[in-house]
Formats: sequence, structure tokens, C-alpha cells
Amino acid sequence: MRAPAVERDNPLTRSFAGMLGIGFLVLMIFACVLTLPWTLGAAGGQEGAAVPRYNAGDPREGRLPPFWWPADETQQERIDAIEVATGERPRYWLGTDVLGRSLLIRILTGGGISLGIGIAAAAISVLIGTLYGGLAGYVGGKTDAVLMRIVDVLYGLPYILLVVLLAVASEAIVGRWIARGNVELKESTRLLIDVGTLLVAIGGVSWLTMARVIRGQVLSLKEQPFIEAARATGASPVRIFGKHLLPNLLGPIIVYATLTVPQAILQESFLSFLGIGVKPPLPSWGNLAADGLSELNTYRSHWWLLLFPCLLLGVTLVALNFVGEGLREAFDPKRRRR
Amino acid sequence: MTATAATTETPPQPGTPAATPILRVDRLAVSFDNGRGPRVQAVDGVRMTIYPRQTLAVVGESGCGKSVTAMSMLQLIPRPPGRFDRGEIIFQTEQGPVDLLTLNARHIREIRGNDIAMIFQEPMTSLNPVFTVGNQIMEAILLHQDVSKAQAREIALKSMRDVGIPEPERRINSFPHEFSGGMRQRVMIAMALACQPRLLLADEPTTALDVTIQAQILELMTELKRTRGMAVMLITHDLGVVAENSDVVCVMYAGRVVEYAKVFDLYDNPMHPYTRGLLASIPKMHARLDRLVTIREIVENEDEFRKLPGADEGIRPWWPWHTPPADLTAKDEPAGDYYLQEVAPEHWVGVWRTHAVRDHESRAPDIDYRVPPKEASVSA
Repeated sequence: MRAPAVERDNPLTRSFAGMLGIGFLVLMIFACVLTLPWTLGAAGGQEGAAVPRYNAGDPREGRLPPFWWPADETQQERIDAIEVATGERPRYWLGTDVLGRSLLIRILTGGGISLGIGIAAAAISVLIGTLYGGLAGYVGGKTDAVLMRIVDVLYGLPYILLVVLLAVASEAIVGRWIARGNVELKESTRLLIDVGTLLVAIGGVSWLTMARVIRGQVLSLKEQPFIEAARATGASPVRIFGKHLLPNLLGPIIVYATLTVPQAILQESFLSFLGIGVKPPLPSWGNLAADGLSELNTYRSHWWLLLFPCLLLGVTLVALNFVGEGLREAFDPKRRRR
Repeated sequence: MTATAATTETPPQPGTPAATPILRVDRLAVSFDNGRGPRVQAVDGVRMTIYPRQTLAVVGESGCGKSVTAMSMLQLIPRPPGRFDRGEIIFQTEQGPVDLLTLNARHIREIRGNDIAMIFQEPMTSLNPVFTVGNQIMEAILLHQDVSKAQAREIALKSMRDVGIPEPERRINSFPHEFSGGMRQRVMIAMALACQPRLLLADEPTTALDVTIQAQILELMTELKRTRGMAVMLITHDLGVVAENSDVVCVMYAGRVVEYAKVFDLYDNPMHPYTRGLLASIPKMHARLDRLVTIREIVENEDEFRKLPGADEGIRPWWPWHTPPADLTAKDEPAGDYYLQEVAPEHWVGVWRTHAVRDHESRAPDIDYRVPPKEASVSA
């Protein structure tokens, strides 16, 4: 008789979908973020002031399909004309947009911006949510009641309306502040401020769920005897929160952070799609999709302009949710022994 | 007390005269807000005294106020809903006496874990699951002592060795879930002892452990008490544990002290009917009984309440379920219907404040006594 083989099972790698998601995300992040210096860098061979590569394009090359896709007659004529003029046949992996900019470069830049905003907004929401929920749960009593009623009220308001309001308001405030200071801003700084306000807007509303989850966890954790024991050894409340509560909260924090990232990306894309998010010429998956939609018509479908941004956005969101679910399962003690 | 001279391992603590109690609880009253309705008076008029190297056992059923009394000593009662209504808990620090109830948050934190340590009932959940036990023992040391991390580690190792954890160098890096219940309780004790506290509050330290481990843990505590000159307040509802491990016993009921005596006096001559009920309901090894005596059978017998010395003069044991005697002359103060009477030398019983004891002002229960070490008591 032999004892059954002990199954060495790492809960973190158990979920196949989760591992697939992680793989895709790592690939995506590497592709988007590592190419940022290149895509944001000045395009060579352009006359005049340096134009970042994501914004560089020749209008004559506008709306060209991917090179591997059969071009129709008019497109073929334009391609031939360009080849004659420059001696080089235009080859774009994902085609070009109205202004002749490479969609591949714009998608990579947009991906970097979308992922960046998503992760940063999730970080903001984790920070606010953990502190807020932790405070409410740990202090308890009236403080808890007041803090959580505020969350309830915010929950009751239409979520996206809040984001829109925050985005518009923070933009106006920054605008007025700049006007008063009479500061001449460089284009790049302006774009940066835009992205920043968007970040604050999204991060500022997506911490609600986090706060609730953390509060619930703290409520149950603080009744644990080891918290009482820590108090009996003379640890201060701040220390108890930092050393004894937070590490025990790490599981849910990681899980909800992972699930907040796709939410934030979706919101950013949605806002950009509506035109209040990332402003062109800076690309994001949202405003690329919006551009693509406007180029879609029954006479000549510039399908690549809509398909590729949407496809990447969709797959990334699915991957993030897979990872979140996988992590949730890995950290769920009830499912640990299956 | 001459008995103390028998413990030769420890010289009397310098600077602490044997006659100075380390802790004195005087007329402590703690109540809790019930949400709706009147406040719940968890503890009222509790008095007790603990001397160095002494074990005071506090016994009573669940909810009688044992734990509330202990938690009050470290201000661990959540306030609100709890509240200290009256009374004082005087603790002898190295700098002099302080009232633990009125210390501010910073000062009580200096006492917690340092001068007074506490161990809890559930060793399974009293350790933080995400840190190694060494980390947690060292935390207490680093909080209270001005030592480096390496020194704290040395102290933690020594402390673990003292409580009988084998291979402390290896076990110091283990997580709580890698320990058994008894070992975890040893870790808790190591944690409590790391700062050399002068008073250890043990709140049912062995309730969650099986009997053999229980015996080991209690023996360990007794030994550490002798070698370190520490005082112990042992909270339990196990009268077997009390008989074996304590010097003085305080029986509580419904938030008040009903009897307070040296351990042998209490077992030989229980005076309050409730104490008699408690002792009568313990199964005896040699007596065959069809059924055990219940506490209720004793406390519902009116005659039991007339056996107290001084009963003729109208002294009646206090009992919350009785209508007070006709000649009750309750003082115009909280718990004024009750009075802790020294009915025999060094033997206190909670009685009604009847006419007979109207003007008595007894001394607080105060017994500087230690059971002689085991060897002596066995040969006797």
C-alpha cells in the first residue's frame, strides 16, 4: 500500500484562465510600455519641429488598410502613387488612420496610456479605499456610521455621471488656475495635466467597493483574539492597524485591485470615447475606437480602425478579469482545499 | 508568612517589601451600555489584593465578571459601550503606586505587556497568522525595551527556551499554524514573559487545551512564578485547577465577590452557599453517586444561608436572587446593599448590609499567603 501522492498544488497557478490572463497581460504591458520611448519619440524624416511618432503621418497615406489585406482599386492606386513618389511601398501592419498615422503605433501608445491610467487609478482607489474602509471599520461606532453613509450616498449616484462631473470640474479648475497664473504651457504638459485630472476622476469614484470590502474585513478581523492580544502587549492603535490588520488584508486588497484595473480602463475608454477623456492627438484605446467608429460607413468600411482597438481593449479586460478571479480563488480559504 | 521562606531559589525582591501588595482592586464597578434599556452592571464593588509570587485564582461561572475585572486592569474594556463607574486599581510600579483606571492611553500602553502581561483563552487564534512567532515575541520586547533587533531575538529565544519549546532556534521562524495548541499557548506565555512582567493575568489559559497539556502549562506557570517572583491572577472556572495551582481564591457571582479566602480554607470550609454548591457539584473520584449535587439544590435551600458565623446576629450571605432581608440598611451608595465581611480571620464572605453590619467597615480582602512548595506539602 502506498500513500496517495501528495498533490503539490500552488493556488496561485491553479487557474488556467488566470495563467493565460497573466501571460497576455505581461505581453501587452511589455509591448505597450517598452515601446513608449519609441512611440513618444520624435519621428525621423519629418520636416519642421519634432512630432512624436504616434502623431506623425502623411495625409496622403490616409486610410490605408493593413498591407496583408487586399486593397481595393482606389487604395491600390494611392499605394502605387506613393511608391512612385517616394520609391518605397507603404507597409502598415494595422493600416493607417485619416491622417496617415500608423495604427499600430497609435494602438501601442494608446495601450500604454490606457493601462497606465487603469493601474494608476486602481492604485489611487486602493489607497483611498483601504484607508477609508480601514478607518471606518477600525474606529467603528459613529465614525463608521457617518463614513459608510457617505459611501452609500455616493453609491446611489450614477457612477459614470460622477466621473464625468469630476473630469469636467477638475479640468475647469486646472484651466482657471492656469489662466490666472498666465503660465504658458507646453503642449506635452497640457496633455499630462489632462491625463492627471482623468486619473483623479476615475480613481476618485472607484474606491467605494474597496472601502466596503476592507471595512467588512476589518470588522471581522478586529474581533480576532490576536488583535486583543496585540493590544494587551501594549501596541498602539496605529501599530495594530499597520502591523496586525493590514497584512491580513493583503489578500482582498490584491484581488480587488486587480478587479479595479479593468473597470478603470473601461471607464477611461468610455470617457475618451465620449470625448471627455484623453484628448486627441494623444491616443487611448477609447478615442481610437471612437475615431474608428466615425470612419465606419457602408460605402467603404475602414474596419481596421475600429476592430483593432476594440479587440485589444476587450481581450485585455477579459485577461484582467481572469487574473482577478484566479487570485480571488487562490486567496479564498474556503476553496483552498479542493 | 513563614511559608515563603521555603522558596529558597528566589531571594526576596529588593525594594519590594513582602508586605506591599503588587495590585489592589478597590470597589471596582464596570458597566456596559446595552443599546436600549438600563446599563448592565458587569462588576460592582469588587475588591481583591495580589502579592508578589502569589497566585490569586478568580473563579465563577461565565459572565460573573472575572474577565471584565482582568480586562479593566489593562483598560482593555472597549469604552464605549463599557464604562468604569467607580473604584480604583492600584498597581505598584517601580516608580510607585498608580491607578490603572485613570492612566492615559500612552501610560497604560507602557504598562501593558511590560509590567502586566496577559494570556488568553484561545491559543489557536491569539497569534497573528501572517507573522512568525519569533516576530511576534520580539514585537513585545521591542515595544518595551530599548534593545536592538538582535538582542530582542536573543531574549525571545531565551523566553521560548524558558517555556519549554524545543529547538527554539528553528521554531522561532515558524508560523503559528505550524504549532499545536499547547505549543501555541507556550508561545503566548513566552510572549507574555519576554518583558519580565511583575503580574501575569491568565484568562482561562488552559480551557482550550486537553488535560495533559493543561497540567504542563499550569506547572510551567507555577515554576515561572517561583523563579521570577511574578504574581499571577488566574481566571478559571475549573475548581480542580484552582486547588492545584493557587494560593488565594476569590469566588465571584453576578459581578461581586461572594467569597475570598486562602485556598485550603476555602476548600475545607466554604462559607457562602454558592461556594458550597460549586464544590459539591464536582464529581468525586471515590464516591459512587447516581447523580451529582447541583448548585441550585444548595442555593435554593434557605437553611444553607443560615450557617454563616454570625447568622444569629442577622448576618446573611448576599445572593442576588433573594429578596433582601427585612432589616437591610443599604447605604446610600452603589452596591450599598452588599458588604464584604471578614467572617473569620482571612476569610471574607459577601453579605447583605443588614442592621447587624450596618456600621462595619471591613478591611479590604488582603491575604499575604503562599502555599508552600509541592515537596513540602506532599511530605506533610
